[in-house]
Amino acid sequence: MADKQNPETGGQATVTLTIDGLTVTVPRGYTVLEAARSIGINIPTFCWHPKLKPVGACRICYVEIEKFPKLQVSCATVAMDGMVVHTNTDQVKNGRRAVLEFILLNHPLDCPTCDKGGECDLQNLTFAHGLDDSRFAFQKYRFVDDDMTTTFDDKRIGPEIILNRNRCILCYKCVRANKEAFGEYDLGAYERGNITEINAAPGRQVANPFSGNLVEICPVGALTNTDWRYKIRVWLTKTTPSICNFSSSGTNILFYKEDHKNKIYRVTSRRNDDIDDGWLADITRYSYQVITSDERLIKPLIKKEGKQVPATWEEALEVIKKRLNEIKDKKGGVCIGGLASPSLDNASLYSFAKFLRRTFNSNKLDYRQDYRMLPKDTANNYSILASQPFKIAGIDDSDVIVTFATDLLREHQNEYLRVRKAFNFKKARIFVANPYAVKTADVAELEMVYKVGTDEIFINAVCLAALEENLVACPDRADLKKKIKPSSLKDAAEQCGVAPETIKIMARALAEGKKVTFIAGELLTRCRDREIIASALCNLNRLFGLNRKGQIAVLARYANSMGAVKLGISPEPVPALKKELEKIWSGLPDTEAYNTDTMLVHMKKEEINGFIIMGANPVMLYPDREFVKESLEKLDFLVVCDLYETETTALADVVLPLAGWAEYAGDYINLEGCRQHAEQALKPRFEAYPGYEILEMIADKFEKKLFSSTEERESEIDRLLKVDTTLPWPDGFVEVKTAEIEIEKDYPLALFLCDDPHHCGHLTEKANSLVNFCGEAYIEMAEEQARAYNLNEGDSVRLESPIGKIIVPLKISEHLDNQVVLVPRNFTSHPVTSLLMRKRRIDWVRISKVAE
Amino acid sequence: MKDILKAIGRAVFKTPLGFLVTLKYIFKKPVTLDYPRKKKPMAPRYRGKHYLERYDDGTERCVCCGLCAAACPADAIYMEPEENENGERRAKIYEINLLRCIFCGFCEEACPEEAIFLGQEYEFSNYDRNSFIYTKDEMLVPHPRKDNPFKRIIRRVRRVYGVEDTK
Repeated sequence: MADKQNPETGGQATVTLTIDGLTVTVPRGYTVLEAARSIGINIPTFCWHPKLKPVGACRICYVEIEKFPKLQVSCATVAMDGMVVHTNTDQVKNGRRAVLEFILLNHPLDCPTCDKGGECDLQNLTFAHGLDDSRFAFQKYRFVDDDMTTTFDDKRIGPEIILNRNRCILCYKCVRANKEAFGEYDLGAYERGNITEINAAPGRQVANPFSGNLVEICPVGALTNTDWRYKIRVWLTKTTPSICNFSSSGTNILFYKEDHKNKIYRVTSRRNDDIDDGWLADITRYSYQVITSDERLIKPLIKKEGKQVPATWEEALEVIKKRLNEIKDKKGGVCIGGLASPSLDNASLYSFAKFLRRTFNSNKLDYRQDYRMLPKDTANNYSILASQPFKIAGIDDSDVIVTFATDLLREHQNEYLRVRKAFNFKKARIFVANPYAVKTADVAELEMVYKVGTDEIFINAVCLAALEENLVACPDRADLKKKIKPSSLKDAAEQCGVAPETIKIMARALAEGKKVTFIAGELLTRCRDREIIASALCNLNRLFGLNRKGQIAVLARYANSMGAVKLGISPEPVPALKKELEKIWSGLPDTEAYNTDTMLVHMKKEEINGFIIMGANPVMLYPDREFVKESLEKLDFLVVCDLYETETTALADVVLPLAGWAEYAGDYINLEGCRQHAEQALKPRFEAYPGYEILEMIADKFEKKLFSSTEERESEIDRLLKVDTTLPWPDGFVEVKTAEIEIEKDYPLALFLCDDPHHCGHLTEKANSLVNFCGEAYIEMAEEQARAYNLNEGDSVRLESPIGKIIVPLKISEHLDNQVVLVPRNFTSHPVTSLLMRKRRIDWVRISKVAE
Repeated sequence: MKDILKAIGRAVFKTPLGFLVTLKYIFKKPVTLDYPRKKKPMAPRYRGKHYLERYDDGTERCVCCGLCAAACPADAIYMEPEENENGERRAKIYEINLLRCIFCGFCEEACPEEAIFLGQEYEFSNYDRNSFIYTKDEMLVPHPRKDNPFKRIIRRVRRVYGVEDTK
């Protein structure tokens, strides 16, 4: 735009206008509506949304601007210098009233049955502006389908969405959000004029991972949720601010709850522009049902003669005390280890670490339940990369964004939306590099699908492209060639199966970009050779100076992964943290530190005898299910705390019911290191207790109180969180080793374990709404592949690896195009981890059709 | 002595005179009713026990919108909505606590569906407090088609006389 001038180039960056007699100065490009809202003048809107482009469809935001002959829609009028705006004159009121009258022309008067009643913009505005009677006596237009089974005009258009087209006022907010913000096209506007209707695309359902937002932004009751439908009136509920427990961004949410019934009814967003922009993924929106489900663990269970029987808390704690003391006396406290879920709050995680380290003098604890072959300590390039600062809002103003080894839609939906936003609003150049094709590529300038197992070679190729094209001015760039293999771009590109030209384009973009965001994800974190790939990324960072002109990070996956790192739940905390811990506890145990992997190995050797698992489910999530099972079975004593009975609790000697995250107040640290507080929404259901209270109770049994008071605990956590855990980048370029990649002869396909876009971890399958979206595991593969095996959508497929096999239905992917299959790991019915080998980098599998 | 005779004379001759007032009422129409055999007709807008109306085809008028509960100053109404077999909204639970109710009639006024009315019945007596929480079934008027006329009459008689259903 011509008038959008930069202050540095001489033009004015702000405009000054008068609204209702008040003078306001706003940045150039603001609309009159935004200017008015910035000084607290409320202008009603239907179709305007702060995160979408204006359309001016509803025209309720009329204002009078002097020297304009007619009323103007403030949401689409750009504020200009010297404008005099009136928002409350008779002309404006009459205009709005007329608009309302037109909107109400065909709007049914079914507020009593409408779920939006009580929080409906149209209802409120009609009450404020409208007449109490209609001048139109004719029949209202009614949308009726031939196949409508109900006498009512409601129509289900998705697993969780119900549409009533009669109520729709055609603000197009849902269609626009779906298109602009989420990049989904399963909802659209059809027909024209009076009979325009919003509807699902023919033959499709609105089932995208952000579909819940469409309901939330609907200004009337045209789109309603099934989870909230006909349950309770909004004015009977109270809201509690909280944080999502199933996304690492820590999206801000509001629980709508009813105190007498101790029940949550729904979740809506609590817009926080630094984190979530007001959009929630469906996991966030519906995962509260994990807590409200009735399948929860009700009482503690104690194993008696091979069977788990319900017991009281006192009995359970006595057993824990007796058995752990036996192990401690016989073999020493170091034979006791623990695994905590990275979704627990700070207090629980910290109590967990303190309990194990102080009571048993053991360094055998971890929070990583699904990453194979973990590094032993933090002196490695991967930990450096993972500790780098990252700002979610920083994605917005980046001009070059690279996503590497991550499927954002499945792992980091919030960041996925940010990347789309940067593309839509700032025209950012987006590059996607992944071993398989992903949805993020919709907005990408270039999508590079490299061969499986060549992650580090691809990064090396980018570095080599920069060297060969002479794009960077890094002083010691000559060193790099000696440290990496192969040494020419041509070879590297050939090895990773990407055309050298495309790599050159990406290298040029990285070099020229003013602000670059480089996101790496789960495929790097979960990979056995993460250290090698991380070394390559360190070189890339140094060569392009990415951390100086932007951000480069491996994103944490779980709600409090970052908190676990910052509070030292890992076996070997960061040195700075270790020093602080030593000060707080006056001494740290100097026993050997084991991570999850080594702990499992030593369990199998019967060198670890007692184990405490809190909220984690390694049997379901850790690679090689049989190995984990065998290891845990070798234990003398296993305590598991969880919300539900899981595969892991089945092996436990004592099972304790754990409270869900809405049932206690807690702090969580999101992937950018921001500490956020989630308030308590419910009283703990059944006999569940929050993690920190359980640990407190166990510690009391050992007569070694963890904390003298809550304040002490909080102050210790505060002290730890003040420690800067960012690790320094390595000096100079680092050597990138060559990884050995095993190839199985008869197993041609590479299996990648993923999360379904509607699930995360092992708990979400208890949420009914999420199960409605996706209720069972599937194998996702390219259409071409399926044809080669003579398979059709929905066929049962036998999936075999050298160590196991499962049978799953086939789902043909819109994106995949190479020899890769994806299987979600969130379903108990399909134990996918039984296919994985613990020490492999690539999991090779083969498939065959199951005969009917 | 004279005084005593005077007093006796007054008692003998004047007392029946006083009873004349009473006697006069024997021939007048009584103001009391032979309750409970006979009942006083209530004013048409009397606000007694609530009843829930039906449409002519028998479907309940109440859609459980919650406005009556919101309007209720005594917080006597509790309800939970549900979907019926046609996907329409109706009340799963609709309870009025008549011990709390102050019979103000706000619920009747608030109702957008003309479903709830305060009826003519004014006799509330029960053996325990819980029985005063009237449920939807107790308040709904009988289904016009599903009930046979005989049962309907019995039900109405029961309603009028406040006889408990023997379950």
